[in-house]
Amino acid sequence: MFAYEFMHRAFWAGTFLGLSAPVLGVYLMLRRQVLMADTLSHVSLAGVALGTFMKWNPAMTGFAVAIAAGLLVEQLRRTYRTYSEVPVAIMMTSGLAFAVVLMSLGTNLSKSFSSYLFGSIVAVSDTQLRLIGGVALVGLLFFALLRRPLYNLTFDEETAAIGGVRVGPLSFAFSVLTGMTVAAAMPVVGVLLVSALMVLPAALALRIAGGFLSAILIAVAAGLTGIYGGLTASYYINTPPGGTIALILLVFLLTGIGCKRLTLIVRRGSRRHKKEKGSYK
Amino acid sequence: MILSSMQNVVFGYGSEPVVRGLSLDVYAGEFLGITGENGTAKTTVLKLLLGLLKPWSGTVSLNEEAMDGGRPVIGYVPQHVASFNSGFPSKVAELVRSGCYSRLGLLERFGLKQSAIVENSLKQVGMWELRNRRIGELSGGQKQRICIARALAQEPNVLILDEPTTGMDAASRIELYELMHHQVRRHGFTVIMVTHGVEEAGAYLDRVIALER
Repeated sequence: MFAYEFMHRAFWAGTFLGLSAPVLGVYLMLRRQVLMADTLSHVSLAGVALGTFMKWNPAMTGFAVAIAAGLLVEQLRRTYRTYSEVPVAIMMTSGLAFAVVLMSLGTNLSKSFSSYLFGSIVAVSDTQLRLIGGVALVGLLFFALLRRPLYNLTFDEETAAIGGVRVGPLSFAFSVLTGMTVAAAMPVVGVLLVSALMVLPAALALRIAGGFLSAILIAVAAGLTGIYGGLTASYYINTPPGGTIALILLVFLLTGIGCKRLTLIVRRGSRRHKKEKGSYK
Repeated sequence: MILSSMQNVVFGYGSEPVVRGLSLDVYAGEFLGITGENGTAKTTVLKLLLGLLKPWSGTVSLNEEAMDGGRPVIGYVPQHVASFNSGFPSKVAELVRSGCYSRLGLLERFGLKQSAIVENSLKQVGMWELRNRRIGELSGGQKQRICIARALAQEPNVLILDEPTTGMDAASRIELYELMHHQVRRHGFTVIMVTHGVEEAGAYLDRVIALER
């Protein structure tokens, strides 16, 4: 498998995404912004279509539009605190609508619409790989250096603000990072699978982790294992890599939920058994 | 000495004001109770004092000289903070540790001094034994107590508590009033507490402000 150069690049791209996307996913889930990754990937697709239509660099327009959309989502979240999911849903629909219309108008589109929807991690170019690597590095530095203010911001924005966290700039920086990660990942894993890489490992981690750091580590471990497993499986059984990765992550999540439930049942059973034993004495 | 002063403050949500021409002085080193029926804008008044809300008119000022010339460090326990997402992946000690973060630099290590502060804060609210428990597994009253411990771990000189006894039993409520009274008398804290239980807390409070509609 590693005799092929494209598989090397795919594994590198997977490593970068597996390190950064699940961490972002944990924060997005805890901040109740799960839809944001999906929304930004749809809007980023509109950016790619716009770039193609205007004969600009589609990767750059996709990137710029995703960052701008991240900032807009954050602004709307502040304006419509009670109904923050409504503008997010509207943006997702609008992004997809723009993308479909612009792509149908652009005749010089280098990739098919479905390749943007599902991505092609085994066809990642050197430029894309460098971009993903750079974004992952920025993301990991962001999370490592700002882990303490981010923890406080994620737990409760009001007490974080009173405690000296600059809530506004930190939230906007987080949104920009989300936009950057989504835009870098979208051409590789596809619009529909960007959020799978973020949400599925995070959902598993939040289900089984005891502490915050362990949640982050479990999410990254699950993300990397899912990506490596998915790439290997797709190579040998000839299935689309993006979909295979998402399915493996889904299996991890369902297994995690099942194991957690089983542990709870066993614990409750042994507690009841002890209680009954005690009452007979 | 006056710590914070509100003068002729008007504030509202939408078009109707809920605070009309309120003037209020808070003195450094007092245990102040704020009470009133539901809808008398008690939480709004706290948020105006904290600067979380900007008044439509009037002024809210903070006298930094009242804190020995330094900036006041405010520990805040909001009304519904204990109703946090029960799936939040943290243990009790981990959450209380986060109270110390505001005093640490980005690259500064969390050292023995901070660990001692966390231990002391948890012991003060009687939650040290449960330090390794997941926060989602706690009862409402226990969650409230760890939120207070988190505020204490900030080493504040001003503590602002919005109905902190929600979900607590009578003995825990009295323990909390005694703890706050101790912090004011022994350590010179200023404590502002919104409460419906003035009859119960009255003996510990220096002053009570009753808000009316």
